[in-house]
Amino acid sequence: MGIESSAHTFGAGIVDRGKVLANEKSMFPIGTNGMIPGKVAEFHSSNALKVVKAALDRAGTKLSEIEGISYTSGPGLGPCLQIGQLISKTLAKTLSISIAPVNHCVAHIEITRHFAKMRDPLVLYVSGGNSQILKLSEEPFRHYSVLGETLDIGVGNMLDNLARRLGLNPAWGSSVAKAAERGKYINMPYTVKGMDFSFTGILTFAEKMAGKEMPEDICFSVQENAFAMLCEATERAMFLTDSAEICVSGGVAQSRRLKEMLAQISREHGARIGYVSDELNADNGAMVALVGEKMLESGFKARLSDCVIDQKYRTDEAMVY
Amino acid sequence: MTLRLISEGAESKIYADDSFGVPLIVKARERKGYRIEGLDESIRRGRTRKEAKAMCKARESGANVPGIIAVGRFSIFMERKRGKMLKDVRFGNKEMRAAGAQLAKLHAAGIAHGDFTPANIMLCSNGPCIMDFGLAGIGGGDEEKAIDLLLMKRSVEKPQFSSFIKGYSAYANHKPVLKKLADIERRGRYKARTLQTV
Repeated sequence: MGIESSAHTFGAGIVDRGKVLANEKSMFPIGTNGMIPGKVAEFHSSNALKVVKAALDRAGTKLSEIEGISYTSGPGLGPCLQIGQLISKTLAKTLSISIAPVNHCVAHIEITRHFAKMRDPLVLYVSGGNSQILKLSEEPFRHYSVLGETLDIGVGNMLDNLARRLGLNPAWGSSVAKAAERGKYINMPYTVKGMDFSFTGILTFAEKMAGKEMPEDICFSVQENAFAMLCEATERAMFLTDSAEICVSGGVAQSRRLKEMLAQISREHGARIGYVSDELNADNGAMVALVGEKMLESGFKARLSDCVIDQKYRTDEAMVY
Repeated sequence: MTLRLISEGAESKIYADDSFGVPLIVKARERKGYRIEGLDESIRRGRTRKEAKAMCKARESGANVPGIIAVGRFSIFMERKRGKMLKDVRFGNKEMRAAGAQLAKLHAAGIAHGDFTPANIMLCSNGPCIMDFGLAGIGGGDEEKAIDLLLMKRSVEKPQFSSFIKGYSAYANHKPVLKKLADIERRGRYKARTLQTV
């Protein structure tokens, strides 16, 4: 079983030898306000047991049949991560089963790589808090090494901020995507530095446009520029690493427009692009369970006292099993 | 013109041409289908102009760079140099020192190269020649200049980098840039980051 609670979603997933048996979740209602970490953690703690139970029911298993437990240890919001950590440690202790802390970003990437059946792809990981281009590296240990990343905020975070500023409800990326369907293009900043990119310039510019330009035009133009920036950096990394496979994961991988642009790259260079379903791209427990299962199968062992949380746990610090 | 494709990058295609009696290189920025047309054109045009401007300015500074023959909307026609890329040969401290002196000239003229690695330096009969100004910036601060040093530092062995810095110290203002380099290396964000050396 895997527990995810790094941000707005509390998720419990159950996997058995790489197959997802259950993937239940409850999501903090964002409304037009965004997230206050303490409030979200309160929401998670009042829903956690319900979600765990729903996952057991869905999988048709009893708690006593769970062989190991994993939880998201970071990166994420401290108070929220603590809820998942607490529940997992309690279950590990009472059931006397093994426990594994999992890096949230690695979980996103690994579930896509697993279901897209890719061995060593170039990875574009795009979500709220993170935006990175990575590739597996064996030295000094097996991990995802960062080829390029955002120099300030994640692309999803930028879209969420824009949605809030424009008063869209719910205030996140999918509302921006919806508004963009009717938009036309206005000039916006475009910042790519090698394989790195930056999103604060475009956000500040778009916020200044609010009230002067139509919201749908702002949304359309921000999406066009931000996603094209990601594509350019990805394309450059493709050439550098000579990759023919791109694994796209994270919450923003649900975006239809981003998928269209990547399909264009795929046509121009003959690369294969791998995705998973939206349900598995959004934050969820199954991805944590999948990585946890791999870790425990490879003999990973941790003492309860070593099961900490790390709000700034970087993708390239985590060992990949 | 008879263009021969000699290499293809993510952003542009590089062609060789001999039909004018002079060995030419043509660097052409390709249309990117994932960018909408207006954005794509303005990016390609802006970058072509910026690159050409940086190359001209670099040549004025006395640095060894290919001379520009003509500039189109999305392409630059330049002189074709003869030599081997630094990354493909065994090089010693002498070459590194000379490369450092070249960068000193660029920085003194206010140009940061933006991608200063052995993959973009050609060893010619008259010393190292600096190529690919596609990511170059003019008028940037010590930060941009320090990034040039950082990229080189990550691409070569320690003693080679020391020789490089010896050549680089011909740049009168080199001390604050070296200090900035130490600052950048200390920054948290890059601590775990495993930058690829190309």
